[in-house]
Parts: sequence; structure tokens; C-alpha cells
Amino acid sequence: MTAILIDTITQEIEINASASRVFTALTTPDECVRWWGIGGRFQSTRMECDLRPGGKWIVRGTRAGGGEFTVRGEYREVDRPRLLSFTWLPDWHGDATESLVRFELSEANGVTTLRLTHSGLTGEHARMHHLGWPEILGKLREFVETH
Amino acid sequence: MVTFPRQPEEAVFRAIADPTRRGILRLLRDRQCTVGEITRHFATSRPAISRHLRLLRSAGLIVTRQLGTTRICRLNAAPLRAVNDWLREYEAFWSESLGNLKRIVEEDQ
Repeated sequence: MTAILIDTITQEIEINASASRVFTALTTPDECVRWWGIGGRFQSTRMECDLRPGGKWIVRGTRAGGGEFTVRGEYREVDRPRLLSFTWLPDWHGDATESLVRFELSEANGVTTLRLTHSGLTGEHARMHHLGWPEILGKLREFVETH
Repeated sequence: MVTFPRQPEEAVFRAIADPTRRGILRLLRDRQCTVGEITRHFATSRPAISRHLRLLRSAGLIVTRQLGTTRICRLNAAPLRAVNDWLREYEAFWSESLGNLKRIVEEDQ
């Protein structure tokens, strides 16, 4: 019950690299398109970003079946290499509202703990009409479960 | 393959997008409440709370019954499963992407 009344996703992963290296991977277009998504199913192909508070970012990509998508937003906090936050606005429903993605990085003994918080999601979904994440992520689950 | 929001489920997402309505659901998670008891928990007028309750009821998230002059509300959590499923899909997206990120950065060492 608790879980289903929240609108925030939190995940944590440990990476054997410096926080600075991880921060670069989070903010460099050429690197972002390599990790953002699922190969062959939901693939980002291009990213542009203006990495400063108030600067815009956009990711374009293709999804299974040949459709295209974009997700865009604006950087809120850029504090290399500890903190990155930005708004998240997908194009797959016309009147979506923004949600907020926040990455916190902490490094100890050469290992970086990367903590992701994606909040405000039910606001996004409240205005969602049928296509988009459901389609993309349904495919994604299918892929994950069969590989 | 997951099936995603059709009409009734969209009503559920609309219902829980509002912080006051999420608060009402949290309150009802622990016990049944009268409309008056619910109103006392929020800095919102009784007519406004009544509107929230009507919306929650039309989404199937609460059930009410009349007892004399008071109306008692209880939670019906079943429709929230759609929300849970959707959040899990987002979790899967991030989990997979962060896994990719880790691999790329560590291969690069």
C-alpha cells in the first residue's frame, strides 16, 4: 500500500569509477546515447544539452516498430561531480506535465554510489493518453524478461 | 505483455495526482473515517473535501456508506494496482539504463 501511494522512484547503483567520471557519462551527449534506453527496443540516438542551471536538454530516439520519441527538459542543479537535477518532459502525450530527475553521486575508495530519484510521476501520468511509455516500456519489459 | 490505461484506469491516475487526495487515501489506509474526521485532517474547506471524495469515489478508490446523519468512507485499494504496475515499468527503464551506464563507465577504466 505504501508503495502505491508514492509518485517517486528511487534507485541506487555502485560504479567502480570516480564520481567525476560518472558525472561525465551523465552529461556528455555521446555517452548518454550509449546507456540511455534498451538496445533495439527503446534506443536514444541523439542528445543535445546546454549544461548549466536553466539550460535545456533533449534526447531523441527510436522505439521498436520505427516510431520516434523525444524527451526534453531543463537543468535545475549542476554541481559537478556531486549533483545533477533536471526536469523531464516526454513528447508522447500532448499535455504532459514535467517530472523531476535527480542524480546524487558520492565517491568513497574509488567507488561511486549513484542515487537516482524520479519524482512527480503521477502528475505526468494523470495527463497521459494511451501511447508512449506504456508502449515503450511494455516492449522493454518483454525484452528484459526474455533475455 | 502489460496492458496500460484504458478509461477507468485514467480516472485512477487523475484521482491520485492531487496531494490532498493522496493524503485522504493515506488516512483511509489505516481506518475508516467519517467525512468530518477527514476534513479535520486537512487545511481545506469541507465543500472542497467533498469534491475530492466524489472524485475518489468515481474512480472506485473509496466506498462510502451512510450511517444516520454521518457518511463513512473506506479505502478500496484494488484500482491502485494500475499505478503500481506503471511505476514498475518506469523502474525497469531506469534500472536497465543505470546498468548500461555502469557497464560503459567500468569498461572504460
